[in-house]
Amino acid sequence: MADAIRIENLKKSFRLGFIPKTKEILKGISLSVKEGEIFGYLGPNGAGKTTTIKCLLGLIFPDAGTIEIFGQPHLSARARQVLGFLPENPYFYDYLTATEFLAFYADLFGLGRDVREERIGRLLRLVGLERAADLRLRKFSRGMLQRVGLAQALINDPKLVILDEPLGGMDPLGRKEIRDIIVRFKQEGKTVFFTSHILQDIEMICDHVAIIVGGRIVKQGALQDLVSEKVLFTEVTVMGVSSEAFQGLGENVSVQGGRVLLKVFEEKRVDDVLAVVRERKGKVISLSPRTETLEDIFVETVTGK
Amino acid sequence: MKITAIAGITFKEAKRDRILYLLFFFAAVAIIASRVLAILTVGDRVKIIKDVGLASISIFGVLMAVLIGTSLVYKEIDKKTIFTLLSKPLLRAEFILGKFLGLVLTLFVMTAGMSLIFLAIVYLHTFRIEWTMLVAIAYIFLELVLITAVAILFSSFSTPILSSIFSLSFYLIGHLSWGLELLIKKMRAGAVRALAQFLYLFLPDLENFNFKTEVVHGLPIPAGIYLYSLLYGICYTAFILALAILVFRRRDFI
Amino acid sequence: MIRKASPARGSAAFFLVLFLLAISATFMALKARTDTIARKRVPGASIIYIPSGKFLRYATFGYRALAADLIYLWAIQYYSTPTIDDRFHYLDHIFAIIGDLDPTYTDPYETGALIATAEAGDTGLAFKILDNGAAKNPGQWLFPFEAGHIAMMNLKNYDLAKDYFKKCMDLPGAPEFTGRLYANALYKKGDIETSWETWLAIYKTAPDERTKKIASNHLYQVKSAMDTDRLKEAVRMFKARYGRFPGDLGDLVRTRILNGLPKDLDGQDYVYDPKTGNVKAATTPWKR
Repeated sequence: MADAIRIENLKKSFRLGFIPKTKEILKGISLSVKEGEIFGYLGPNGAGKTTTIKCLLGLIFPDAGTIEIFGQPHLSARARQVLGFLPENPYFYDYLTATEFLAFYADLFGLGRDVREERIGRLLRLVGLERAADLRLRKFSRGMLQRVGLAQALINDPKLVILDEPLGGMDPLGRKEIRDIIVRFKQEGKTVFFTSHILQDIEMICDHVAIIVGGRIVKQGALQDLVSEKVLFTEVTVMGVSSEAFQGLGENVSVQGGRVLLKVFEEKRVDDVLAVVRERKGKVISLSPRTETLEDIFVETVTGK
Repeated sequence: MKITAIAGITFKEAKRDRILYLLFFFAAVAIIASRVLAILTVGDRVKIIKDVGLASISIFGVLMAVLIGTSLVYKEIDKKTIFTLLSKPLLRAEFILGKFLGLVLTLFVMTAGMSLIFLAIVYLHTFRIEWTMLVAIAYIFLELVLITAVAILFSSFSTPILSSIFSLSFYLIGHLSWGLELLIKKMRAGAVRALAQFLYLFLPDLENFNFKTEVVHGLPIPAGIYLYSLLYGICYTAFILALAILVFRRRDFI
Repeated sequence: MIRKASPARGSAAFFLVLFLLAISATFMALKARTDTIARKRVPGASIIYIPSGKFLRYATFGYRALAADLIYLWAIQYYSTPTIDDRFHYLDHIFAIIGDLDPTYTDPYETGALIATAEAGDTGLAFKILDNGAAKNPGQWLFPFEAGHIAMMNLKNYDLAKDYFKKCMDLPGAPEFTGRLYANALYKKGDIETSWETWLAIYKTAPDERTKKIASNHLYQVKSAMDTDRLKEAVRMFKARYGRFPGDLGDLVRTRILNGLPKDLDGQDYVYDPKTGNVKAATTPWKR
């Protein structure tokens, strides 16, 4: 399967200020996104995420490096035909209705009248805006704008969908809906490339992840490879045994109404704890191993490097 | 076609701008007021009505073109609506041309409106429909088209205020071409004069589109000038648009 | 900055630049062509619609003097363009506007009068302009001075000239010979009496020898004119009475037509020609 996106050694500097001072934003980015996967692009603010995306889309012209979309040069018409984009904090022509808005973008792709009508209807249903079809965008809430923006990104039924902070500013229900939509894209065979600050969402749906810090990719790989299965500690909730019995075995987190919550750092000590409980005829309420999350990796990467 | 799609929403957007209607209102007031002014003049009264009317259409048309045109592209960049547009398979040139056509269409509607009021007022005075007025108005419109292109050119890389100043400067320079001609006549031959002559040919001569005086005073217009002025207007507009496209092509949208 | 531009992009820019060059050459050629087509130009003709400079004063938002300058500049170009027919039609009106905008700016009045006299050949216009200037600047000697000269030289209207010079004489800063101009105009007009009195005044108040001499010459001339007129009149009376010219001026006394013979300012007798009956002064005033 071809790479949906292939970026090699992308470099970009900007000359800013009245007395132009060159600031290097991208210092040689290389990454590849396989077709059909969901790719998460993370990094602290100002690292260069949005700049990378703008280079991808031809809004910014790189100083050096190559970008290919499905093997085509990224600026070619063929590449543009198969991609869809939703920018961060989108702002649209607020005097148009949702239908008019989508119809305009459909025109830009040269879609015929029937295809256009059918697709607009379908997309509005997909993003849950079918009731707002004739409402002017000016009256949309933030979440609604995000959704109609998503619909616009899909107007040409793209193979690659690029989203810049698609989950930003949405309530938990909205985030879940968008996550589900993104997963559905994958099921339809689309490739999704998106940036987000909300790491739990990324952890939930992404196949591959890249972390960019200071204009460089510092970590890249399959999510399951990056986030080791290593258990950091195990939380054990026990009833019917006093906390002194677990001296030396684990950290006492809390004692509440007969329940003792322990944080056990070593694996074999867990067995010891269980032995003590059985001995004292107590009951294990819960046992949860806490593995390394993406957040841990992220913080470690950003602050460590 | 993509250009027409862009032109369509540009027209929709431009016609919502209240400045257009404010300027239209003032133009209408000026044209109607000329009727009152005519009573004060001695002699041929219709002349002042025609003069004020054509001048109003011209001046307010230019203001419309500049004020709307300079904010048009800038707004898209500032509000970032341009991101979703340019990431589509749309050439940047198509974007510029679409904006231009949309604005030209808007100005056409406005000019037609002002012209109707003007012709109505003239009719009230002379009880005739003066077709020659339409010739003058047509060439005023051609001048507006050129100014529009200039406004879009500046709007694609500068803030609205600066763009307005530059565009209005273009308009002023365009009407002072004869001054440069007089100056050249008084210069001695040499490198400076050659440069001045080049500038004279290169800088716009908007008087080529000015038939107001001839039409109002009933003077004859030589036949050749219609065609050459039209071609001049078309060529200069094409030049400005090509320049705008060239500037816009490699622009980074940070 | 090294840009990695694909060949397609590079060539598009190249063709654009080529297009720019080609189209600019085209419109420049077109402009050269339209220049050759003569159009009836009445540049700035709409200025005649301004009923008076008063309105313009308010319209120029306080930049009156600047507006005056600009209109003046335009006016000069306008009037020096010979191909504009009938361009002097509104000469006084336009210069009146300039005067309204900036009353103390003296150049336009002078130039306007000059254009009126020299180019339009209409001295009435010139007077209108200069009078306008004088009305707005009553203390300015320049305007009656110029008007007086136009009256003297162009119109040979000495009556008008004397009025202007009289007015000018009393104004501060007027050239000291204005008085002499006045007196001369009086003389040319034929008002010998006042001319004599004026020259006498000038003689008495002359600040230097030269002025005194000039005054003296003029006095001589005036007296000669007075005297020769009297003598000529007497000769005519003689002829009417006796049917012939007198043999010499003494005859006029003997026949009691005159009481005595006047002498010129230097005490010399006047020269009489018995054949023609003409009387003239012995010396030319300036050769004394």
